[in-house]
Amino acid sequence: MLRPWFSLSDPIWQDFDRLNREMEKIFNENYFSPAGAASSRVPMPAVNIGETSDQVLIYLFAPGLDPKGIDLTVEKNMLTISAGRDTAKELGEEAKVTGYYRKERFSGKFRRVIALPEGLDTSTIGAKYKNGILSISIKKKEEEKTKKIEVKVD
Amino acid sequence: MAKVKGQEMAVKTEGGTPQEQQRLRPVVVTPPVDIYELEDGVVLFADMPGVPKKNLDVQVDKNVLTIKGEISDIVPSDISPLYVEFNGKAYERAFTLGPDVDVSKIEATMNAGVLKIFLPKSEEVRPKKIEVTVE
Repeated sequence: MLRPWFSLSDPIWQDFDRLNREMEKIFNENYFSPAGAASSRVPMPAVNIGETSDQVLIYLFAPGLDPKGIDLTVEKNMLTISAGRDTAKELGEEAKVTGYYRKERFSGKFRRVIALPEGLDTSTIGAKYKNGILSISIKKKEEEKTKKIEVKVD
Repeated sequence: MAKVKGQEMAVKTEGGTPQEQQRLRPVVVTPPVDIYELEDGVVLFADMPGVPKKNLDVQVDKNVLTIKGEISDIVPSDISPLYVEFNGKAYERAFTLGPDVDVSKIEATMNAGVLKIFLPKSEEVRPKKIEVTVE
């Protein structure tokens, strides 16, 4: 069984999401995109951010990257992720391409800047790239962590 | 190399109230694809971030190619959302294949969330080079 990403899978959110997609479809296909075939093209890799009691976690959905080409920087409370991919190179030099039917996937460079919440210890940032998702974890400062207070009985 | 199966997948049934079923139903996303035609076949690339090889399901039934993948759980169980752009749990997309594809020789590989499928053309439709001999 699949567990939802966070808790936004309530029907109300799905309705909202569907409305959003419909709007996107109308505008992309009929008005701005002459071909209309690439309406599912995502301009930027999507980002999800969540927190636990002791850290903030950032997930970037960016498949097909070379992990060595991912550039992560933190300045004050701004986290910048830059990377890119060239989908034309995935086929290899020797492939004899005679045409294409669909080109919907993102190709090129991207940069996402994320404003981090207050109270994070940005000196220790963990990052790993697995199955096309970049996961970044940043620990909260000691004083920001959720504390459990023991109740003593006299 | 991912497995390519010929038979249909069993339909999953879950208990609970309709509300629960609605809540538990995975949000299925249509993955963006690139499809190229080569001299000897067709190559398909699909972006399915979060899908490990073991959660991938590639099937051919008659002339329909179906790709499915479930996103594996990577978030800790005590996480609460601050900002969410992507709420998918699974990917699914189907394609109708032309009669030229040799379905017995389809190859699928998965790397860094990108599924690559090679659909070779059957021998009889490949372009043949005919040598002209000069006497």
